[in-house]
Amino acid sequence: MTSISHPATLAPAPSRPVPRDWSRVIAVVAVSILALVVISPLFLLAVASLKPDRFQILADMGSFRAFWVSDPSLQNFRDVWTFSGALPFGRYLLNSLIILFVTVLGGVFLNSMAAFVLAWGRLPGRAVILTALIALYIVPQESIVLPLLTIVNRVGLSDSFAAQILPFMASPLYIFLIYQFFIQVPRDIYDAATVDGAGPFRIYWSVFLPISLPVLATVAILLGIETWNQYLWPLMVTQTDRARPISVGIASFFGHDSVYWNSAMAASVMMMIPVLIFYLAFQRWFVSSFISSAVKG
Amino acid sequence: MGNRLLRLTALTTALGAGLAGLSAAEAATLKLMFQGDPYEVKIITDTAKKFEAANPGTTIELINTPHDAYNEKVGAAVSANALPDIMELDAPFLANYVWSGFIQPIAPFIDKAVLDDMTASNVSQGTYPVDKQLYAVALVDSTVALYASRKQLTDLGVRIPTSVEDAWTKDEFEALLEKLSTTPGVKWPIDLFRSYGTKTEWITYAYEPVLESFGCDLIDRTTWKAEGTLDGDTCVEAAKMMQSWVQKGWVVPQSAGGNQFYAEGRPAALAWGGHWFYAEAKAQMGDDVVVVPLPKFGEKSASPNGTWIYAITKNASDPALAGKFLSFMLQDPDYRAAYREHAGFPGLKSFAADSPLYAPGGAMALAFEQASKSAVPRPPHPAYPTITLAFQKAMNNIFDGADAKDELSKAAKEIDADIEDNDGYPPFGGN
Repeated sequence: MTSISHPATLAPAPSRPVPRDWSRVIAVVAVSILALVVISPLFLLAVASLKPDRFQILADMGSFRAFWVSDPSLQNFRDVWTFSGALPFGRYLLNSLIILFVTVLGGVFLNSMAAFVLAWGRLPGRAVILTALIALYIVPQESIVLPLLTIVNRVGLSDSFAAQILPFMASPLYIFLIYQFFIQVPRDIYDAATVDGAGPFRIYWSVFLPISLPVLATVAILLGIETWNQYLWPLMVTQTDRARPISVGIASFFGHDSVYWNSAMAASVMMMIPVLIFYLAFQRWFVSSFISSAVKG
Repeated sequence: MGNRLLRLTALTTALGAGLAGLSAAEAATLKLMFQGDPYEVKIITDTAKKFEAANPGTTIELINTPHDAYNEKVGAAVSANALPDIMELDAPFLANYVWSGFIQPIAPFIDKAVLDDMTASNVSQGTYPVDKQLYAVALVDSTVALYASRKQLTDLGVRIPTSVEDAWTKDEFEALLEKLSTTPGVKWPIDLFRSYGTKTEWITYAYEPVLESFGCDLIDRTTWKAEGTLDGDTCVEAAKMMQSWVQKGWVVPQSAGGNQFYAEGRPAALAWGGHWFYAEAKAQMGDDVVVVPLPKFGEKSASPNGTWIYAITKNASDPALAGKFLSFMLQDPDYRAAYREHAGFPGLKSFAADSPLYAPGGAMALAFEQASKSAVPRPPHPAYPTITLAFQKAMNNIFDGADAKDELSKAAKEIDADIEDNDGYPPFGGN
């Protein structure tokens, strides 16, 4: 009789080296190096933001001194805030947070509703709509900037939050992403909810949304980062500080005569923190959505 | 009764008109679009507040636009028919803006004292050559000079020019670059500020004087044809010379950043920099930094001029008020002090008299002298946006090793095609 043991349960032979341990060490070292490479620009940014002398930041940039600060100071952060009035960074930050919050919340809601209707609604010409949706995704945003700008101005939304939120809430990519998730939900679940007397909106709200958290988190993160980093559109559509986001505010440090690296670095760190918190809050679902999409069956 | 009704109606009408006038006055808002360094943002904001305090009922709405995306913002404002009352613009684009109908003659709205105070170069940068009218004003102008270490040049036994006439000749300058290339501690003999990027006005602004000094130009300024001029033998020779500097490893590469002149150890010996670079170099190197004129590559030396200047748009609801604000701003002592502290290049004679840096004996006096003697404005033609883009592309390719003649020919064809497509931009050039 032959018994088969799982390899994981086998004890290593005492007289032979275990190649798996070495491969683990190599993997850890490789991942650590990769992590260092990935994290080094952020680390450099954080270190540079603590150097008050913008010339020193530039002078250090070509060597490992870029990653070291001998006399750390928060002066740059103070300077950024003292521009308040001329460059009101608190206002910019608040504006960005408002735009982020409303766009993500509205975007997740709108895109998921559209995806639900596409996946489960009685929709004539669904295949055509889906094809059109994918085709829309191919159209680069830059090519619609001018017509969009004309529309925004004609409806009187210039220099407003709405101008920065409404055009970007719905996205073919996110609708398609959620649609892909929704169509994999077993038909029985939908039918059972229908038998229980739930209408389409109730099924969407109470059944589909709760089981879609990973994909919704993915959409929230992608849409959030996209919104946070928007530059060209807010620049064109905002005139004053009323609704101007921090991404445009930071660009003021890249003057026509000089680049104010110290202030730009400090402002960038401040700009990074909210999006980092946002990512950390959702990353568990984000990772799980990737894992679930990678596992078939 | 009839009379009473008439009086009441007249009174009501007068009161209504008065109130309407009052509310119109209260609602006077000037929109000003500008770009600038953080210190400029602050001082313009402060000046606007002062003007509002001195003119109750007037509001200045500032549209601060990042430098890198300024032209995109102008394009967006034009397409949305939302140009502000006052807009800052880069001087070489003035001809295009006038031709496009964006801005209006400014002289009737500016204090005579300010107009009389403008330097010839400042008048030149704000004037449209077709109607010879002034369309823009500014406190400042600009130039490019060469920066070096006095000690290094002295140690090497190199002559330090003290006037524009005295500028290094082509042979002297190339011999100096050669010598510097073998000087211990020198990594790059010269920084041409390629770090500013490949799609930037710096390329045309700073390198066109080399063509001018060789005796050629971006375009023939009489026939307004680029073919035969930009791709002529003289321009090709100038471009090849600059290409050879890069190929010999004499020029600071774009990736090294623009600080190599004053970084520790001074890896770059010379800097071909704008007047604004002086403040940075001085802060790092103290009195060792010396300013010399751009070299004479041919019969004469040449230097650029033109900076960001203010115009009143055709959209301005109250051009007189816009002119009043600009006159106020250009004469505001605090506004002037902020520019003086940052080595602002004088565009007003009174500002020059107030700027010891540029006065005789000042560290930048030679740069001011150079501007008055050798400044050549960039082509004041409505096709300038095409001219500059074509030249930028050609120079980048040439620096990267492409054939100079081919690249300049392509650029010249592109420029001529644009002018032809626009029927010569009538009535420009008498067409």
